Amino acid sequence: MLVLSLYRQLVIEQQNQVDKHLAAEMQRYQQLALTVNRRSFAAQIRAADPKTALIAWRNSVDMVGALTFLPENMPQLPETRDFPIFTGGPDKLHILTGGLVITRYGPVLIATRTDQLAALIEKFINAAFWAVAFTLGLTLALGYIFSKAILRRLVEYNRLSEQIEAGHYETRLPVSESQDEFDMLARQFNLVLDTLEQNLRAVRGVTDNIAHDLRTPLSHLRIGIELLSQKPTAELADATAELLEELDHCLGTFDAMLSLTRIEEGQQMLDLQPVSLQQICQDLFEMAEVIAESRDQVLKISLEDDIQVNGDKYLLFQALFNLVDNAIKYSPDGATISIIQQGKHIQISDNGPGIIDEDKERVFDRLVRLDPSRHYKGTGLGLSMVKAILSRHKATISLHDNNPGLLVSIHFK
Amino acid sequence: MTMRILLVEDDATTLKYVADGFTAQKYQVDSATDGQEGLTLAKHNQYDLLILDRMLPKLDGLTLLSALRTSGNKTPVLILSALSHVDERVKGLRAGGDDYMTKPFAFAELLVRAEKLAQRNVVEPAATDIEVGSLKMELLTRKVTLDDSELMLQPKEFQLLKYLMEHPNQVISRTLLFEAVWDYHFDPRTNVIDVHIAKLRRKFEELGHGELIETVRGAGYRLCKRH
Repeated sequence: MLVLSLYRQLVIEQQNQVDKHLAAEMQRYQQLALTVNRRSFAAQIRAADPKTALIAWRNSVDMVGALTFLPENMPQLPETRDFPIFTGGPDKLHILTGGLVITRYGPVLIATRTDQLAALIEKFINAAFWAVAFTLGLTLALGYIFSKAILRRLVEYNRLSEQIEAGHYETRLPVSESQDEFDMLARQFNLVLDTLEQNLRAVRGVTDNIAHDLRTPLSHLRIGIELLSQKPTAELADATAELLEELDHCLGTFDAMLSLTRIEEGQQMLDLQPVSLQQICQDLFEMAEVIAESRDQVLKISLEDDIQVNGDKYLLFQALFNLVDNAIKYSPDGATISIIQQGKHIQISDNGPGIIDEDKERVFDRLVRLDPSRHYKGTGLGLSMVKAILSRHKATISLHDNNPGLLVSIHFK
Repeated sequence: MTMRILLVEDDATTLKYVADGFTAQKYQVDSATDGQEGLTLAKHNQYDLLILDRMLPKLDGLTLLSALRTSGNKTPVLILSALSHVDERVKGLRAGGDDYMTKPFAFAELLVRAEKLAQRNVVEPAATDIEVGSLKMELLTRKVTLDDSELMLQPKEFQLLKYLMEHPNQVISRTLLFEAVWDYHFDPRTNVIDVHIAKLRRKFEELGHGELIETVRGAGYRLCKRH
């Protein structure tokens, strides 16, 4: 495009100059014809410098001037026409541009050589061709170099992904400083790998947990079943019931582990519906009251500004109930436990033993139980589940000192 | 008239356990071991209840259920599944199931649930009084008497006792009692039911009949009729 417009401009400029030049010559010869006689006119024409313009005049019989003939059908200046002439020189064919001017002594041909223009155009085209060729060459060369670099990175990516496929899930693609598209791709790929590795670790964690935490009750069961055949008939029913209880506990832990992983990894779809926080706290209170009562504990409730959140009613209730149940379970007889709901904020507090600062984060980890004697029955998954459920609901949970006791603070967005 | 149950289950052990249990209770049990056979049987016979495994060869339990419901069949369906997650339960109920139980389960609980579903089809005049031995419950006035002495019950205790009285001499699991009293489906892993039952039993003891509510270890509670 640029080359084309340059070319056009060049040609137009050249043509303008030719036109101007011819116009000046035309005036000169018209003036001359008016002022001098026929012979001097012929002499002037003969003496005209062919470099300025080629002049030809038919003097009654023969041609006077630079040309030996007058071409047919020449227009009157300022209109012009191109015509060819033959000369004896090395460039035999020339292209002239010219026109006739009518004077007192008849028509005079004024022409100028325009084959410089043709040469110029040719040069221009030549130059343009080389420029394009050079650019093309350079582009190809640079492209080759770049593609070599890109290819090298792709080969590297390929090698690394083969490594990942082989089980080295900690492998990451290199990210350079240049922040180009490949780095963006590598970074995204690394993020995917991070998530996958995390999930994998969670699954591995579950397997380890199952192995660790279910082995003990399962071995109890094995022993129990083995001993059943030696029991007197009267004790059989009780012994079987005991084993069934142990088995149910085992299954409960197993289920809790699976659900926890599914909730944590977001695989479990939530049954979303508008849930009133006030209603859920009220239900919580009703269900837990009797448990607290059985231990002479006081359960208090305070509700203020109801808020509806979009959530899974059952899961949310399960999480909150777990917290209240913990407060009741771990506080001594006669303690006071309160449920306070205020807008999007829910607090569950007790005046039991509380949790020391070092353990406040740790309690949310799987299978962490602060009660080393395992005096209280539990799976060690309760708080992990609470946290997983709440974070699926975009709610935050934090533990604080109630001086004395524990204060659990939950905030919905 | 005996109730007819169709049991679709591919696991032979479970099939036998459940079928034997229902036969012992004088139910008529038909069984199918894959989804295709189950659907054909369900479409061509009149059953009072369908017990459907979630994962079946040839035709998945939920697909069978959807096909059945699409054809206008309204037989109550109880889904049995080894998938215990809440979303599985939701899926099962959305596909047109009426109740859902996870494996492993106690036959006693399955029986209670099955009877409840099967009876839903039978239009009975709503009972206003329930009587178990010398225990009487007036549903309208919510008055409960034992040997003509009135028992003062909390609403939750009333609901628990009502459920037990509707199924006298049957072992009722904690899960069933929990569902009867609260509208939350989850394993509470808590002694909330035991605490309520303990309170209820204390009120019975005051009238000298604490033995009416029996604890069945590893299973649940039973209300005895013998009195």
